[in-house]
Order: sequence, then C-alpha cells, then structure tokens
Amino acid sequence: MVALETAVIREGETSGQNQQRLELAALSAPAVLFTIGMIAFPVVYTVWLSFQSFSSTGKQSFVAFGNYAKLISDNEFWHGLWVTLALYLLSLLLQLVLGVWLALALFQAERLSGIVRSLFISPFMMPPVVAGMMWLVILDPSLGAANYILTSIGLPSSDWLASPTWVIPTIALIDTWQWAPYVALIVLGGLQSLPPSVYEAAQIDGASPFKTLQRITLPLLLPTIVTATILRSVDLLRFFDIIYITTQGGPGNASNTLNIYGFRAGFEFFNIGYASALMLTLTTIVFGAVLAFNRLRGAVAW
Amino acid sequence: MATRSIVAGFTLCVIAAGGVVSAAHGADFDWQKFHGKTVTFLANNNPVSQALLTHKADFEKLTGITLKVDTYQEQQMRQRLVTVMNAHSDEADVFMTLPSREGAQFAAAGWYEDLTPMTKNEVAPDYDYAGLSRALLTAATYSGKLTSMPMNIEGPVLYYRTDIFKKCGVDQPKSIADIETAAKKIKACDPSITPFVSRGLKPALPYTFSNFLHNMGGSYMVDGKSALCTPKGKAALDTYSRLLRDYGPPGVVNYSFPQISALYRAGRAAMDFEASNELRTVMEGGERLQDTALIPLPPGDGGQVPTAIGWGIAISAYSKQPEAAWYFVQWATSPTVQKMMAVQGIAPPRSSLANDPDYRKWIDEEPVRKQWQAALDVLAAKGASEVGYPIVANPESREFIGQAVQDLILKQKTVDQACADADKALNTLIAQK
Repeated sequence: MVALETAVIREGETSGQNQQRLELAALSAPAVLFTIGMIAFPVVYTVWLSFQSFSSTGKQSFVAFGNYAKLISDNEFWHGLWVTLALYLLSLLLQLVLGVWLALALFQAERLSGIVRSLFISPFMMPPVVAGMMWLVILDPSLGAANYILTSIGLPSSDWLASPTWVIPTIALIDTWQWAPYVALIVLGGLQSLPPSVYEAAQIDGASPFKTLQRITLPLLLPTIVTATILRSVDLLRFFDIIYITTQGGPGNASNTLNIYGFRAGFEFFNIGYASALMLTLTTIVFGAVLAFNRLRGAVAW
Repeated sequence: MATRSIVAGFTLCVIAAGGVVSAAHGADFDWQKFHGKTVTFLANNNPVSQALLTHKADFEKLTGITLKVDTYQEQQMRQRLVTVMNAHSDEADVFMTLPSREGAQFAAAGWYEDLTPMTKNEVAPDYDYAGLSRALLTAATYSGKLTSMPMNIEGPVLYYRTDIFKKCGVDQPKSIADIETAAKKIKACDPSITPFVSRGLKPALPYTFSNFLHNMGGSYMVDGKSALCTPKGKAALDTYSRLLRDYGPPGVVNYSFPQISALYRAGRAAMDFEASNELRTVMEGGERLQDTALIPLPPGDGGQVPTAIGWGIAISAYSKQPEAAWYFVQWATSPTVQKMMAVQGIAPPRSSLANDPDYRKWIDEEPVRKQWQAALDVLAAKGASEVGYPIVANPESREFIGQAVQDLILKQKTVDQACADADKALNTLIAQK
C-alpha cells in the first residue's frame, strides 16, 4: 500500500517535472533560436564557404580543402600570423604591466575625483575609429605633434606608422594608450576585494612593501590578471579597427594581421572562400587561446 | 479610406499636370511618370556626390520621386555594395562606380543593369546623350552593355608653387626629367619645403603612378604578360619611387589625397601631383589661390598620355524599379545638373559645357581655374583610363603595383627584384579566370 502510494506520488512528480521541463524549454526557445540564427548559422555557413572557390567574377566551385592547402603555402598567411602574434604579445605585455601599475597607484590614492576618473576611462570609451584618426594626425611625420615635440626637445624625429620597423610597436602603443586603463580598472576591482587580514599578518611579520607586493598582492591578483588577459587576448588576436584606420596593413605588408588580410581578401578582392578559410583559422587560434587561459585561471584560483 | 482617395486623386492631378508640362515641351517624356516611388542611392562621399546632392530637392520636386541616400567613404561604400550585391538584394537601386577600377569585375559578375535601351527610349528631349564624352562612355561599356553614365572627368594634375619656383630660379617643368631637376634645386634652395608630393599609399598610388608609366612609354601588359620589368616599366618605377623617396615628405608611404592636399594647402610642398578634383580642397581658405599654377603631367619618352577617368552612376541589376532609377541617373547626368555641378568644381564629362557662359564666368574668376580647365581639356583629348591592369581582377592588381613602388621607396628591394616579384604575382593574377 505504502509502496503503491509512493509510486503514484513519484509518477505525479515525474509528469510534473516533465511539464516543468517543457515549460522551461518553451521559455528558453527564443534564446536558443536566436543563438542558432546569429551564431551557429554564420559559423556553419563560413565553414561551407571555406570549401568553395570564388573567381574574381563571383562564380563559385567546390574545392574541398583547397583553400586550406593554399593557406599553408601562402607566405602572406605566415607573415600575417607572425604579425598577429608579435602585435598580440607586445600589446598584451605593455597593457598588463601598465594596467597593474596604474591600478596599484590608484589603489594607494584614497579618493579619486570625478574628473580624474572620467579622464581615466575616456580612452576606451572612445570609438576605435576616432582614436585611430586622432593618432594618425598626431603621428603624421610631417604635420603631426609627436615629431614636433621630439624635435623641439632635441630628439630625432620618427616615421612612426610609416616605418616598416616601427609600425608594430607604434600600433601596440596606441592600443596600450586605449586599453591599459581598462586593465587597470579590472585589476583595481581585484585589489579592492583582497582580504585585509593577510596584509595585517604581513605587517606584523615586518614584510617590506616590495616583499608584500611580490609575495602577497601579485599572487592573490593572478586570477584577476588572467581574466584581464583573456578579455584582451580575444580583442588583440583579432586586432582590426586601429590598423585599418591608420595603415590598412602597410607600409608594404608590415602590419598586415590575419584579420586585415582576411578582410581585404574577402571584401576588396572577392576571394570569399579563401577569406573564410583565413577567418576560421584565426577563430580557431582565438578559441584555443581562450581555452588555454581558462585552464590557467583554474590553476591560479584561490 | 477617404484620405487615401484624396491622396490618390491629388497624385493623379499632379501626374496629369506633369503630362501637360511635358506635352507642352512637345515630347512624350514625363518626368512625373514615377511620382511617389522611392529610389535608393548608394553614394561615395566625395566631391562629386557632395555637389550632386546639394540639388537633391530639385530632383524630388521635378519627379515626385523620393531619393533615399546612403553615403559612405569610398572603401566602405564598395564593401556595402559587395554585401548587397552578393545577397542579390534590391537595397541599392543606384550606385556610384569607377569603371576604370571595378567595371570589368562588376560587369562580369552581372551587377550592372544595361543602360543602352534606356538611353535610347526613355530620355528627356534636352538630355543630349551625344554630348557626353565618347571615351568615358566607351570605358563604361562591357560586352556591348553600357554599365554606367559618366558623372565627371578627372585625372591627376601637377599643382606647383609659382612663388617657390621663382625664388629658387626654377622654370615650369617641360618634361618628367625637369620635375626631378626642379625638386633637386628646391631641396637645395629651401630645405624646409617638401619639393614633391604624390601618392605613396599602396592601393592608392596606381592612380598617379600610371600617368608616369604611360608618359614614359611603358605599359602594364605586353602580349598578355605583365610588363613592369621592361626597361620602360623599370624606369617609371625607379623615377616615381625616387621622387617620393628623395624629395617627398617623411612617411609618404601612408600618403593619399587627404594627406597630400593638407600638406600642399598648408604651404609645405612645392609640387603636388594629385587629382584634378582636389582643386576645391587645395584652394580652401584661399591661401594657395594666388601662388599656384596647374598643368598636366609633362611628357616623358612616351609623350603625354594623361590619366583620365570619371565616376559613373549605375543601376543595380537587382533593382526592382530600374525605370524609376533611370530617371534619377538621367537627371544626375543631364546637362542642367552637370552645369550646376561644374561651377562647384566638378569637371563635366560634356565638352558642350566648356563654352557655357555661366561656367566660363566661373572659370575666368581665377587664373588657376583657367589652367585647371586647360589641363582638363588635355585630359579629355589625350587621356587614357588605364589605372592598374586591364583585367577583371584590376583592384587586386593595384596591390602589386603599390607593393613594388613601396618596396623601392622603403629601399627594401632593388628595381630588378621589385619588378620581378610584382610581375610574377601579376602573371598569376592575369592567368586566373
């Protein structure tokens, strides 16, 4: 009798649960459909496009992995990959070092005035196109302010964005100007949430400020720094806007990142199939980097 | 309901009135035929469309058509066009196009509506189709199809500073070699001045380089092969890149028309080889009005073969209302509108307007405008529209020309290496179908 009752109750529960599940499914359907429509479909379509070849008149034919084979033998692809990674590593390093330093400096300041805070976040609130145009004018070798300042204090002028040697460091500097404050804000949030007891203990033990930073602050901040690294990595690996505004991949091909290369291949030269193969390769790289950093975040969590 | 019938009645009245007006002109052409329609125009935000669109209200009043304008900078406009066309969308009825660059490509892709029948059957009596530049119409014709109507005529011309030339004892250049001699003298006489400036930006420089190549007797293709490594091709690459490297501004590899015009207008350059369309920009503020002279690029070993191209206005093959779109195209390229644009500094692709009294009056106001018109006359008479390779993949061919010149400006290759690398890549491109 008791067993039967339990069974009946369970059955009632199960059908109730089923209905609840159905309701939940119905409620989430719009979001799922939206995700499929806006993310899954474009990705699958790009995969399909990457197996096609388009002639310059737009006629298409199936070439299977032909575009990927072309990619491996394409010097410009390897050069683009190199440029992408060089720009990524340089910018990331600059932004993390400067961002953490800024955060520490701000953390010491008891109170920040509204104006300072606004100034602080203004670079990354600025549309990249505006930032790019602004720096293009400042860094113009003939008419720009940068060389004027350099020469007026007796330093030699630079070609900045027009020099194949200096174009990558210059773009990295522009991006750092724009995004280091963003990293700083994230790190500042991390700093404010650190437990004060650890610092008190360190103070009692007579640790020097440098030792405190080295042994306590930085290790405890690592999860926050890794989060900032992930956020910046996604942006930096598919770096596009500022380069497109300032150099379009030049001079020559000195700043031709994979994203710029793919964009031009697709939209300027109509090689949609090859551009899709390039973009999927880049997407894989970005995805791989994010996965790796996510693992790292797990390892440094406390 | 009532409102709708009133509107319909009003529309009918207007159409009827329009009919009477055109009947009064003694032809069966009716500007109000497509009253109430909306035509979308994808425009490149350059001086040509800017001048045209100042008269937008006139068009809407004349035809009763609503003109919806989508304006972008040149590259963005083209990218929008590629997206719209690949989707076979009717979002753009009319768009601006450069036949010399993308004509063969867009025509092969089937993006242009053939305008030939419309120019024959649907024209206002005063359109004067025969008055349009033959050369530009031919340049826009592919496999017998007329793909766009010419909006203007333009080409690179040499702007130079008469005061600096006088101060440094330099005469007006009579040949390409003279340009270099002049640059050398100016460099020695006043080191603060940039002696010569022209395009160094990779995709942009074929526009100016082509004129050097043709004047020096070179040609992009000989017997179906890329010919940059011929002696004349090499000489042109060498001269153009040397002028920019030795006498151009620092960072010239990133220079296109905005930087060039800004430098010249600021009084920092003695010679400026740039588009005739830039006259208005260069003269803005009036500082250069009195000290500037203007000539076509002087001849080289191959004589004088100026580059003359023009923007065209085309109808999309995917437009659902090509007839209404044609009314806009026709209006935009009519003698009346081109005359209004001419006094705004847009050189008309119609020789008949050169003698129009209003236009002449505008020209005569400033000596530099007279020289500008004289240079344009040379362009119209002798001009060639070949900018980059005469192949379907013309836009991509410009990349390799640009790369060769930049390699030389930056001293990354010798002339032999640069032209050989370019020829190799270009021959592959030519072989692609």
